[in-house]
Amino acid sequence: MATVTNWIDHLSAAEVKGAIYPGVGTESVLVIVLLVIWIGWHVITSVSEDDDLAKLAKKRHSGNDYKSNITDW
Amino acid sequence: MTDQLGALTTIFTEFYYWITVVLMFLIHVGFCMYEVGASRYKHHQHTLMKNTMLIPLVTVTWFLFGWWIYWAFPTGPGLAPSIMNESAALITDESLFSAKWYVPNSDLMAVNLGDHISGVFWAAFLLFAWTAASIVSGAVIERITTFAFGILAIAIGSVFWSIDAAWGWHFDGWMLKLLGYHDAYASGVIHAIAGGFALGILIVLGPRIGKFSSSGEPRNIGPRNPWLVTIGLFLIYTGFWGFYAACNIPIFNLGPEYGMEGVTYWTATNIYVTPTTLSGITMNFLMSLSGGLLAGYVISNKDPFWTYSSGLAGIICASAGNDLYHPIQALIIGGIGVVIAYNLHYWVERTFKIDDAVGAVAVHGYAGVAGLIICGFVLNGYPSSGYSVGSMWVGTDYAPINPLGMFIGAVIMFGVLGLIPGYILAKILHAAGKLRIPRDVELAGLDYNIMEAAKKDERAVSSSTR
Repeated sequence: MATVTNWIDHLSAAEVKGAIYPGVGTESVLVIVLLVIWIGWHVITSVSEDDDLAKLAKKRHSGNDYKSNITDW
Repeated sequence: MTDQLGALTTIFTEFYYWITVVLMFLIHVGFCMYEVGASRYKHHQHTLMKNTMLIPLVTVTWFLFGWWIYWAFPTGPGLAPSIMNESAALITDESLFSAKWYVPNSDLMAVNLGDHISGVFWAAFLLFAWTAASIVSGAVIERITTFAFGILAIAIGSVFWSIDAAWGWHFDGWMLKLLGYHDAYASGVIHAIAGGFALGILIVLGPRIGKFSSSGEPRNIGPRNPWLVTIGLFLIYTGFWGFYAACNIPIFNLGPEYGMEGVTYWTATNIYVTPTTLSGITMNFLMSLSGGLLAGYVISNKDPFWTYSSGLAGIICASAGNDLYHPIQALIIGGIGVVIAYNLHYWVERTFKIDDAVGAVAVHGYAGVAGLIICGFVLNGYPSSGYSVGSMWVGTDYAPINPLGMFIGAVIMFGVLGLIPGYILAKILHAAGKLRIPRDVELAGLDYNIMEAAKKDERAVSSSTR
């Protein structure tokens, strides 16, 4: 996984390689992982928000009910 | 980097942009404070969360495609040829400033010893993208779903702002060549587009419950915490310094860049690579802020909320030409922008029943549009680029700055890339039932469940004896 194992060797090469992160060459796989995380996050949070809003709407609180929930300072 | 002077220039530029990113972060802190101060108690936490979550939402999409769009789209495509490869297609070739290097799986989109600039430049543009999304955030508080806002934030932050920057805020942009567009500190490319986008959403989203009486008269839902609003706006002013600095290239040799044989001329430049000075834009920044504050204080009859917002509107209005204006011109233009924005805000509110909760459309959209149009008159005849000077509509060289080109540019920023996409996307989200929170939730307050849980916790703690 390590791209660099010896800095002296790396920096004294005829052409110093710029990319020094672990797993050079796996960038496309990382992008796919990011896309999966990204889409998954949107789906999960969207479903969760719909659920929360529907439950709260069902209780039909008035516009002033929240005042009884104000905590002390 | 093998010679010391070259290394010094590179590392200085890298550090310069890094500092601008840190300063610009304060814009976001300011927007968060401002929105919480402007919202009502029962919506505070969701309001803050909505604006906070745009950070990861826009950042990830900026990494995936937003940055690529900026480098790929300067030609339109199909509207004016690139000066790099003389093609009007998307710029995805092997040239130095090609989008090819900025796909998410490029090895330049990471720690790379061969490139000290792309990452900080990427970040500076990303912070602009956050700002565009955050401008929209304030207008829609207390009734939009977090999901819908997230989609809209991605659209304005990672798509439409990136397209407009490629078109009008890039040394190779087609709007410079065909129209003579000039927008040094983003009156249009950030503010007008974000204001227009917000207005497009607001038309579909509708007002907050109670904002208008049954006869249609608007009611004031003023800021609930004026101090938080004040501090928020001061932080936005502070972050704006970083924004101005990030719009410049701090050190550049224009002689070889313009092809002038034997000429060496080191200077700071704006984003179009034409010369300016950090010193001059600092004066103009402060004078346009002052012009906005002076005008806002009078026109709003000393209203604190509008006076502070007017300082921001003043800067925004003068920003298009603040690389070249005289400071007194900047002050006057800032003041004019505020008068226009303030009056338009209330006219639009009364006439079209638009509930812009924080005046974002006015401060950013109307002041930005006014700034672009004024810039066309005040800078009429200046070259829009240093690379060449030509005529309007030709496209193979650069048109000079002119009133008609700047007016068309304002229409593109506010309308074509702002209002219309905002409206269409909001319509789609509305049709899917995802745009607005249920009426009963809006009445109860988005934070109702959080507050109820906190109260239960408090009761349990206060009734305990050990």
